[in-house]
Amino acid sequence: MTQPLLTLKDLSIAYRVGDQDTIAVEGASFDVQPGSIVGLVGESGCGKTTLARSLTRVLAGNARIAGGEAIFDGRDIMALSERAMNGLRWREIAFIPQSAMNSLDPVYTVGTQLAEVLIRRGGLGRSAARTRAEELFEWVGIETNRLGDYPHQFSGGMRQRVAIALALALDPKLIIADEPVTALDVIVQRQILDQLRELKERLGISVILVTHDISVVAYVCDRVVVMYAGRVVETGPMAATLTAPAHPYTMGLRNAFPDLASAAGELTPIEGAPPDLASPPPGCRFAPRCPFAEARCRTDVPGLDIYDGDHLAACHRIAEAETLRARAVASETWEAPA
Amino acid sequence: MSDAVTSKIRAPGRIARLRRTLGSIRLPLHDPLAVIGLCIYLFFILMAVFAPLIAPHDPNEILFTSEFALAADLTPGTDGYILGTTTLGRDIFSQIVWGARSALLIGLTAAFVVALIGSIVGIVAGYFGGWADTVLMRLADVAFGIPFLPFVIVLAAFLEPSIWNVVIAMALVLWRDTGRVIRSQTLTLRNRAYVEAARVAGSSDLKIILRHIAPNVLPLSFLYGSIAIGWAILTEASISFLGFGDPDSISWGYMLQDAFASQALSKGSYYWFVPPGFLIILIVSAGFFISRGYEQILFPKLDR
Amino acid sequence: MKAITVIGARLLQTAFVLLAVITILFFMFRLMPGSPLAAYIDPNFTPEQQAELMARFGLDQPLWRQYLIYLGNLLQGDLGESFFYRQPVAERVLALLPNTLILTFSSLIIAYVFGVLAGAYLAWKRGSVVEQICVPLVLTTRAMPEFWLGMLLLAVFSFGMGWFPAGGTRPPGAEYDSLWALYSSADFWWHMTLPVMTLAIYSQGLPLLLMRSNMMDVMREDFVTMARIKGLSTFSVVIRHAARNALLPVMTSFAIAVGYQIQGNVVVETVFSWPGLGRELVRAVSTADYPLAQGAFLMIAVVVILMNLVADLLYAALDPRVTHE
Ligand SMILES: Nc1ncnc2c1ncn2[C@@H]1O[C@H](COP(=O)(O)OP(=O)(O)OP(=O)(O)O)[C@@H](O)[C@H]1O
Ligand code: SF4
Ligand SMILES: [Mg+2]
Repeated sequence: MTQPLLTLKDLSIAYRVGDQDTIAVEGASFDVQPGSIVGLVGESGCGKTTLARSLTRVLAGNARIAGGEAIFDGRDIMALSERAMNGLRWREIAFIPQSAMNSLDPVYTVGTQLAEVLIRRGGLGRSAARTRAEELFEWVGIETNRLGDYPHQFSGGMRQRVAIALALALDPKLIIADEPVTALDVIVQRQILDQLRELKERLGISVILVTHDISVVAYVCDRVVVMYAGRVVETGPMAATLTAPAHPYTMGLRNAFPDLASAAGELTPIEGAPPDLASPPPGCRFAPRCPFAEARCRTDVPGLDIYDGDHLAACHRIAEAETLRARAVASETWEAPA
Repeated sequence: MSDAVTSKIRAPGRIARLRRTLGSIRLPLHDPLAVIGLCIYLFFILMAVFAPLIAPHDPNEILFTSEFALAADLTPGTDGYILGTTTLGRDIFSQIVWGARSALLIGLTAAFVVALIGSIVGIVAGYFGGWADTVLMRLADVAFGIPFLPFVIVLAAFLEPSIWNVVIAMALVLWRDTGRVIRSQTLTLRNRAYVEAARVAGSSDLKIILRHIAPNVLPLSFLYGSIAIGWAILTEASISFLGFGDPDSISWGYMLQDAFASQALSKGSYYWFVPPGFLIILIVSAGFFISRGYEQILFPKLDR
Repeated sequence: MKAITVIGARLLQTAFVLLAVITILFFMFRLMPGSPLAAYIDPNFTPEQQAELMARFGLDQPLWRQYLIYLGNLLQGDLGESFFYRQPVAERVLALLPNTLILTFSSLIIAYVFGVLAGAYLAWKRGSVVEQICVPLVLTTRAMPEFWLGMLLLAVFSFGMGWFPAGGTRPPGAEYDSLWALYSSADFWWHMTLPVMTLAIYSQGLPLLLMRSNMMDVMREDFVTMARIKGLSTFSVVIRHAARNALLPVMTSFAIAVGYQIQGNVVVETVFSWPGLGRELVRAVSTADYPLAQGAFLMIAVVVILMNLVADLLYAALDPRVTHE
């Protein structure tokens, strides 16, 4: 196996609200290999954006890195000086936000915004920046004469392509895409996802793709990281994790998506809601909703264990995964949580 | 529509509604600045109410020294005149105390009138829409085109000199801001489910307005009212200063005009013209502080 | 295409408001106590002059005819004769307008430059002690009667220290060949300092508070966060992105502020004996020089209405979201 581009070890991020800490990400660990797409999935509020943004170290004012490290290309992002971190930003790690509309400055043309990073961050001259901007627009499939247009003049899908062009501007090694297709319709979603895949294949760029849509993961990702209530509960190769999940939460999640839950034939949402992160339950955080929870689940925190090769899961009953999977297919299993 | 459906989306009951209405006009006690503003108001209210007891002299009384000379331009402390006397021998401190009466009287009535007219215009325009809306909003456009202070001056010159001229002028012109804001608030309220439901259930327009619309725009009326208090006091001061005020009522603006005309500036009689201005600032900024408190209740922002 | 119809509608609205204000003005002066002739005829005029004005303004005709004549005269720039100056009102009013405008604009430019910078700074410093002290302080300057501030400055810097003259635009007896010669003289600026400072101190609160709250809103926008994620310098993030966006509404408020200021000038011009429209209005009203009062009022109203229009157009011109369809 090659050296990973990024290795997260026990990363924790906390928000301070009033005089209380909310641990939004707790002890997250996983690897990102060069030239791969890693899907980061989980319900709303489970800490995906927090984790993704922490890799740029641009977090909300009340956020704090509470521990752990993120080794990127041999350096720990969390320990770098602000100056060194700023050197990494956009040149090595770029970001594609969920809503390109709000993340593009409304008073400058997209060309100006591209030039801004090319010149101020990439050190290009004006004409070189112009050439590069045109090249980028061609790459993402927008006519170059639209460089002079303002963000509001583009459609949603086009804007997302502009965001991709921006992210590509300085040839980064890693692109973090926070729900880049959530707001788009299915056809445009496919086009954008195809483009992400092309990035990986042609340019060898790694992508962390944040989404709560498993079908998006199935479409483009090489690996999956499943989060639940601030913790990583399962991580593994995409196909193995989706076809043979080892964590009950992933099994439940899979049931909620039609093209993956074909075996069950019907959609079964997981009953209940994720816990309040300000006062999470002790033990396994999924226990209150898990149909397979046992006594120890409510007291002991399960660690990430090897299920099969590089397929890991954090469940006390990991050894019985196959049996649980079989039971999880039946929708009755999910109706009355234990 | 069946009763079951309407009752489901019916507005909260009478008691809940009353509580909400009262709650919506609660004093902004969470904001220290607003509390300071309220305290300042309390101070001035006490001063106005007990003016005859606090003021040692009639503010218009012409005073004489023990040698029977005019007690003119005495500096503070001389002969027991706390803030000294004017060129015509009147007690400055007593004028200051009585000035609180006209300030509050004008401020509060003007604020009430502006908020009332603005709210009625806004509710009628927003609720009924159509030509009523068009007419009222074009009127507001016109009101925005009228220079306010010059308008008050001309009005004051034509009418009998009176402290109410300012109130009349504000009623005629300054309802415009309140009216526009209340109108847009009413527009959003009109489309709420419980208002629709009340309409479907056959409530009269008046009933809907009184029950569902008015209580919800009340806080906004209060916000604009508390801003209008300051405007009224400042306007009265300007008008009196320019000599179009009521010569029979003592106001801080009148005092400033008296001082200005009596060369208090070149004489360096700071004790004469600083206190009235200072009190105007105090009472007007108190209104601003309170209105900011309301603003925070109405438009809460996370980190403000 | 769409932009043109919007602008057209806005121009139409302006014309309507202007006509409405002119009409109000007409009736206000006609309905005032005393003879309806008082609006145009000074009892001290010679009989010939009186007869001439009667004819010129149709004062012996029914009110509606008078109104039409009034409109017609207005279109030709005829506002009547000043009782006091025995001179056409239009001439007098136009001569005073520059004095008022120069005062208004210089003070507002100072106020806006200061207000914008200080507002951005306070937004940057939000939650700090500086902010907690400055914001109430700024609110307090908004609560000041402008003329009182002027009096204070006069007492301290003119009568007290003797640094500045007590009023007017020029030293006694000084004559200048042209307006330009006056405006470019050091004396003029020396005379203007105190009134300009007065107006500027009073006006800075508006741009300051507006800039501060816009800035605080904009700093929360995604594109500002993105600018930081892009690793742009603090300067770029704060100035190029946040401030540039926060500035839009502040710039349009400038035009509105001109309209407000020109009304407020009435008192400050009086304090500093500044020969402008405002002081003239006060003088005309108190000496019952009605044609002049009408003319001065109308001129001020025109500036207010035009500035409301300019504010809207400026907003459209500065915001690409509006300009580019
Ligand atoms: N600035 C903040 N202060 C306090 N709590 C926050 C802050 N930002 C996020 N949180 C909390 O942290 C948790 C994780 O939020 P995050 O935005 O990372 O979730 P997410 O997985 O990206 O959700 P979504 O799918 O809705 O985007 C949530 O419970 C959220 O309420
Ligand atoms: S640890 Fe227990 S509660 Fe948690 S997922 Fe596994 S079985 Fe369910
Ligand atoms: Mg998110």
